[in-house]
Amino acid sequence: MKLKTNHSSTKINGLPWILPAFIFLLVIIYYSIFYTFNLSTLDWNGLDPVRKSVGLKNYTKLFKDRVFWICIKNTVVYFIITFVVQNSLGFIFAAILHSQVKLPTLHKCLIFIPTILAPATMAPVFRLLFSPQGMLQSIFDTLHLGIKVNWLANPDTALYVLMAVAIWEFTGMSFILYYAAMSQIDKQILEAARIDGAGNIRTLITMVLPHCKGTTVSMAMLGIIGALKTFDIPYLITTGGPNHATEFLGTYIYRQGIRQSHLGYAAALSVTLLVLAIVGALATNYANKGD
Amino acid sequence: MFEVRTRKNRILLQVILLIMTIPYVLPLVQMVLGSLGGRGLYNYKAVWDTGVVPTYFRNSAIISFCVILLVYFFSMTAGFGFAKLYVRGKEIYFWLILVALTLPEVILLTPLFVTFQKLHMFNTFFAVILPSAALQIPFTILLTRNFDAGIPNEFMEAARIDGASIWQVFCHIILPLTKPIASAIIVLTLINAWNAYLLPLLFLQSPNLQVVTLLPQYFQGEFTNDQTKILAAAVLTAIPEITAYLLMQKNFEQGMSAGALK
Repeated sequence: MKLKTNHSSTKINGLPWILPAFIFLLVIIYYSIFYTFNLSTLDWNGLDPVRKSVGLKNYTKLFKDRVFWICIKNTVVYFIITFVVQNSLGFIFAAILHSQVKLPTLHKCLIFIPTILAPATMAPVFRLLFSPQGMLQSIFDTLHLGIKVNWLANPDTALYVLMAVAIWEFTGMSFILYYAAMSQIDKQILEAARIDGAGNIRTLITMVLPHCKGTTVSMAMLGIIGALKTFDIPYLITTGGPNHATEFLGTYIYRQGIRQSHLGYAAALSVTLLVLAIVGALATNYANKGD
Repeated sequence: MFEVRTRKNRILLQVILLIMTIPYVLPLVQMVLGSLGGRGLYNYKAVWDTGVVPTYFRNSAIISFCVILLVYFFSMTAGFGFAKLYVRGKEIYFWLILVALTLPEVILLTPLFVTFQKLHMFNTFFAVILPSAALQIPFTILLTRNFDAGIPNEFMEAARIDGASIWQVFCHIILPLTKPIASAIIVLTLINAWNAYLLPLLFLQSPNLQVVTLLPQYFQGEFTNDQTKILAAAVLTAIPEITAYLLMQKNFEQGMSAGALK
């Protein structure tokens, strides 16, 4: 994150200008954070007049909770795979569309449309697509591949389907950013590399990719926070199942807090999630500055 | 980026592009085909005849409009204050705002659920508008601050010497100059508000207050999982979004990519 300030020599008090936004955030965001923090030390179902204080018990419970660790594992796997695949695809699309191909705008639109559609709108489509009644199955049957598509019901494959959905949705974003970064590369440098005998692939990896490092770091930060925040896609397509195989912190907090009214425990999970998100953001920001 | 000289390679590259793009189109094809299953276009008529579609769209439009207004107001004022004016302890305020940047919305659910119920705001549009705007503004303030910092001070000072008040400077100099970032912020906020699912799901209970992202669900309850109508509803929701994108491609792409550049 870059912070830029360019003071005007006229020293006007800016407090009235920033205070409205600051108070607004204080009332909604910080109030909620403190409320959650307080809640995380209680054993409360939201209705009982007695709120039993249990200290840090909810946090110790969390570390022994098998499902919590499944959430963490899923988040890590999900981040690594979606980050690598989504950005590789976005990078390759950007490189190809910078290479004088036909119908560039059509391809650009088709790749970008998934980014603007709501996961809630597309979830029923993906449930059908990856079911035995869906189009994938018909395609495999026509080609006589003998593959049975029932991937969402299978705990071993459901998470990969969700990752495919996420990659489908966000490749457009990686693509647009890499495309913009590549427009700024000096063509002469690439020419020089080619005269020295470097092939297309080699130029792409040794010259173009390092030039786009800023974009890659931004996408990493967005990816870490995004993976931790993941809710819509798993909740709407698999509701965290089968048997917690696609559980993420977001869906688990929802399950514990809203569905089962374990408000204290859900709050402890929320605080942990917030800490992880801040640490993740700071770590990538630090890595970015470190070079 | 690729240098293709021969005709064969040019065709090869085009074919690779085509094959890579197909997976991105497949779900959209499935959506349209699925919505036409069974009784064909009649599914659309059935969805429309429920009478809820215009209501859901209107509600989404109201909510998105209000969220955009709040986000615009708070980002423009605070962005200007942070970039151009003197504030004691400025960076402390700024970092407190940035912490909210990483906040997952699921954390807000319980506190706001309890509080909104106490304040009789539960099941009103405010319950969705206020948190949606709050989740958006840390980032849009960051964008506006960085943009405003690039505006030369001379513009402001010249106007001040001519006797303009700071409010006049803001309205007549800063706002017109920040149009590019403002349009990116508006599109980004529109997409996020329009696509929001969790907050409306939880905080809007009355049928006449629901929004477009809850439309597929309507047919899950009402007609016991009527797949074709769910997909017809999905198509109806997607069409205005895709149309808006095609009409304002540049703005959408800038808005979404502004969301990633920090």
